[in-house]
Amino acid sequence: MIYIIDHKDSFTHNVVHQFSNFNTVECDNFDEINQKKLNKAEVIVFSPGPGSPKDYPVSSKLYHRFKGKKKIIGICLGFQQILYCEKAKIVELNKIYHGFQSEVKVTNANSLFKKDQKFKVGRYHSLKIKEPFYKKNFEITMRCAISNVAMAIENNKDKIYGFQFHPESFLTENGNLLIKKILSA
Amino acid sequence: MTTQNYLKTITKSKKPFVIYKSDKGFDLYTDFSKKVILTNKNIHNFINTISKKKTKNKNTDLFIGFFGYEILNNLIGIKLSKQKSLKFPKGIFYKPETKVNLNNDLTYENENLNISKNSFKININKKSYNKIFNDFKKKIKSGETYQIKICTKYRNKSKIDPIDFFCRLSKTNLAPEAFLIKDKNFSIISCSPENLITKRGQFVSTKPIAGTLKKTKKLSKIKALNFFNKNIKETKEHNMIVDMERSDLSKICEPGSVKIIKKKIVEEYKDLYHYVSLISGKLKLNISTLDIIRAMMPGGSVIGCPKINTLKLLNAQEKESRNIYTGSFGYIKFSGDMRFNVIIRAILNFKNYSEISVASGVLIDSNAKHEFNENYIKAKALIELYK
Repeated sequence: MIYIIDHKDSFTHNVVHQFSNFNTVECDNFDEINQKKLNKAEVIVFSPGPGSPKDYPVSSKLYHRFKGKKKIIGICLGFQQILYCEKAKIVELNKIYHGFQSEVKVTNANSLFKKDQKFKVGRYHSLKIKEPFYKKNFEITMRCAISNVAMAIENNKDKIYGFQFHPESFLTENGNLLIKKILSA
Repeated sequence: MTTQNYLKTITKSKKPFVIYKSDKGFDLYTDFSKKVILTNKNIHNFINTISKKKTKNKNTDLFIGFFGYEILNNLIGIKLSKQKSLKFPKGIFYKPETKVNLNNDLTYENENLNISKNSFKININKKSYNKIFNDFKKKIKSGETYQIKICTKYRNKSKIDPIDFFCRLSKTNLAPEAFLIKDKNFSIISCSPENLITKRGQFVSTKPIAGTLKKTKKLSKIKALNFFNKNIKETKEHNMIVDMERSDLSKICEPGSVKIIKKKIVEEYKDLYHYVSLISGKLKLNISTLDIIRAMMPGGSVIGCPKINTLKLLNAQEKESRNIYTGSFGYIKFSGDMRFNVIIRAILNFKNYSEISVASGVLIDSNAKHEFNENYIKAKALIELYK
């Protein structure tokens, strides 16, 4: 079972439907988490949402509690949440992308995805991680083809994955394939 | 009886009635056997029991009316702080006993000379609009909202003949979600173009509008489509609404069933072009009428995104009640089928005051002056009725 933690976003149920292609999915608001579902879940997903990771201490706690024990996936705010918990700084973007389709590129040979592959994705973010960012076992694997902003992270040891863009958006090409790959990793 | 004569007769009878645009013309509902004024206490029960009522296989097996903005917020757990208000009901539904089909050619001779009108005043001037605009831009920069709609209101003191207004409006602006409510102490006249919920059997769809362009003689529909497709700001605004409506539908629909049926098309109206999409899905089993309403209302395209946080930001800023504006008008049939619009492009006439509300979006790259003017374009067709 996949447990999606909803940060009360207006895109979360697209995430729910996308993950439902591959497994049963449960979804609750971050302030209404069900411990039974949490323990039962094999995968925890942190949804997109408004604001910044520091606004969601509950999600940070969950991350630390289950890191290395369950597969963890973060999308947009969820991506930032993971990195924030790994001591990355989250900062405002100069150029903001909301509802924007842009191209990302796989930049890391250790990625589950083929290096130098490019594809179009939907973006909804005001914030980004401040670089340089180094953390053991974490690798930035995709970047914006134009601005070079970090767009995906993988930690294949602890099975932690995150996308700054929205794989569930209608603007993203092959979003289902991306999710399928990290779920079977 | 011809449409013209019927309108004359019903006006003379002084009976309350409702008119709603249909595919072929208009449907008029009257002879109300029940009128339900909604409150936070009775709304759950009201919605839940409609689709449990026994159908008599009549075309009047339905309740028709509206939900105001505030009660729709309350329905999804968002409270509004005290605002300046007209004490207008939060929502009203009627049970009609008569339904009459009218054709598209609504003609009506205004014999009622008891009409007065004054010029409109706007509740937010350019300067305060700019301030609100810049405050919200900061909220976008910090990620608290991705898009937010500032509402402005035009108001005047006026006595109007709502049927005359509605007929004239439908002549110049035959909007697919137009409606008129004429009750004893108020009237609502709207040329809403936007459908929020169409539910038939297991299928539900929504048709959000995001993107407005002023019509000029040189600007054809094809040119308008070109403009929207090439304009990054309009495209982003629209994309966001499409993803948001997909998500709202996904709350109540079977996984995999939510599809974009029409992607970013242009529809033409009297003074403007709109950028529109159509999204639909198949309902999950055991989804109630209330579930559908709570998932879809208030309609996202007139609020901003993400809905919950953006509503909170709006409500903290807005000092005056939106009343009907960005609520929903429509009907719920005893069978559970329903149709609702988004209440925009509407005049609320109550206690001899008319108010017209409009909103336009703040995105990171929108421009305060442009949006302020866009607001006026949206109100123009309605304000002209008073001339």
